[in-house]
Amino acid sequence: MPTLEYFEVDSTEKAGGEMYRRITSTVITDHNLLKVLERLRIFIDPSVPIFIATGITRSVPRLIRVSDLAGVAIDGSKVTLLIADEVYLADLLQILWNKFGKDQVGQPDRFTIEIQVPDDLQPGSIEDLAVADPTSGLFRDLIYSMQLICPEGFRIKKQAFNEGRFWFVASENTLPEDVSPLVEEQFAIMRREG
Amino acid sequence: MNLVPVTYKGGVFRHDEILDLIEDMGGYIIQKHMIAQEVVLQALIPEDDIEILKKVSRPLAGEVIPAPLVGTEIAVVSMSLEIHHLPHASCDVAEYLRTAGAKTNMIGLARGFGKRIGLMSDEERDIINEHDLVIYLFGNFETCIKEKMPTFRRGIHIPIIVCGGPSKEALMKIIDPKVAGYVGGLGRFMHRTKEPSELARLDEIVAEVSRVIGNKRAEIAKDPLSIVPARLMNTIYESVPDIQDVMSPIPVVVQMDGVRVKLPYDHYVSDISGIEVDKGVHLSDICDFSPSRMRDYILVKVKPFSETSLMV
Repeated sequence: MPTLEYFEVDSTEKAGGEMYRRITSTVITDHNLLKVLERLRIFIDPSVPIFIATGITRSVPRLIRVSDLAGVAIDGSKVTLLIADEVYLADLLQILWNKFGKDQVGQPDRFTIEIQVPDDLQPGSIEDLAVADPTSGLFRDLIYSMQLICPEGFRIKKQAFNEGRFWFVASENTLPEDVSPLVEEQFAIMRREG
Repeated sequence: MNLVPVTYKGGVFRHDEILDLIEDMGGYIIQKHMIAQEVVLQALIPEDDIEILKKVSRPLAGEVIPAPLVGTEIAVVSMSLEIHHLPHASCDVAEYLRTAGAKTNMIGLARGFGKRIGLMSDEERDIINEHDLVIYLFGNFETCIKEKMPTFRRGIHIPIIVCGGPSKEALMKIIDPKVAGYVGGLGRFMHRTKEPSELARLDEIVAEVSRVIGNKRAEIAKDPLSIVPARLMNTIYESVPDIQDVMSPIPVVVQMDGVRVKLPYDHYVSDISGIEVDKGVHLSDICDFSPSRMRDYILVKVKPFSETSLMV
């Protein structure tokens, strides 16, 4: 299992910071985020109070298309999908039902889907159909785990995820409208410390 | 007669002999668990007769262990019911105290989280006050514990034990006025306690709770109760047949200075208060009855000897 290149939990209270380091490592291991996180820095100052988490993810998986999870066989207007990876099957069926209608999409067995494609559509276009975007799930998982790590009383939250960089800021009091100086300060420390 | 709290662990085979023996000694069985082939008894036994019990239980492969917390009801208060505080550390602490014989109730506050926004409602406060002792499981930061402590001690008149991430010395320094007990190094965490150092912390909680309970017992002994709560429990079991139909594992919960009867207050309070425990002495003469804030149970608190001049 890969480990983080940089992992730091810093706090104005040393003992509390150590405990939050343990909490953080438990949460990211439990949520299987080790393989997507490259660098993570958390700063907590309970006297303000403020919680800032900044991090960088590893290369984010691209869009999942039909051809990634199924073998496609075209026979005239009939397309047969042989499912190799069931993980996204529910999402795929939902998309196919919406696109072609339930009466045109059959599933004779667990790993086979048969589609009757209407004349005005190219059967080959099914291969490129986007099924899922792992990035959206990744962002959700990351922010959810940050919410678990941060003290529960810190109810005011702001977060963002952009091109592999994410941040999460939380406080018990109102947050400043622009939290970017706080976030950039932590990113700078992360860069400086390696 | 000085009663000592013990746990008996043994097989099902001939365990009725142990039950009879405890009864003949003048002891009381507070709880009886039958788990597959094993029987676990939480009992109060006369101090002088412990050796006899050990002798009788030896051929039955039974074990008599001192359990300092038998006969106490302890509130383990978690700051909320969110995943941040449950199941660890709250459940770990509550479960570990049960092994020492305590009856623990876990109380998840509705809005206990946060240093400035942490609140405790009247209902929560009343429920906590019905226990013998309360353990607050706070977080990891000194600043937060210091700021929220006044809210959580207001109106609480039972001994408080504070558990938190900072060291015991730090907790003693930041909490003013003092509380009954402190356990440091056990704040918020999200993994199961299984490392030796963590189990040592849990042992520390049991030791601290035992110390505080011991002080409270000594305090009660200065002005003894008019009836021993365990005997009060037995009297209720014998005199109120409907208690046998209660599905709860412990229909009558023994506390240090009373009992909680898990029957509806309105229907049963007159029956129970009218029970004659001795010639001409009714329970209403030696106990105070009040509706419990926990469901519609009956809370019975025994009056001290100085108030009743009666000792049953």
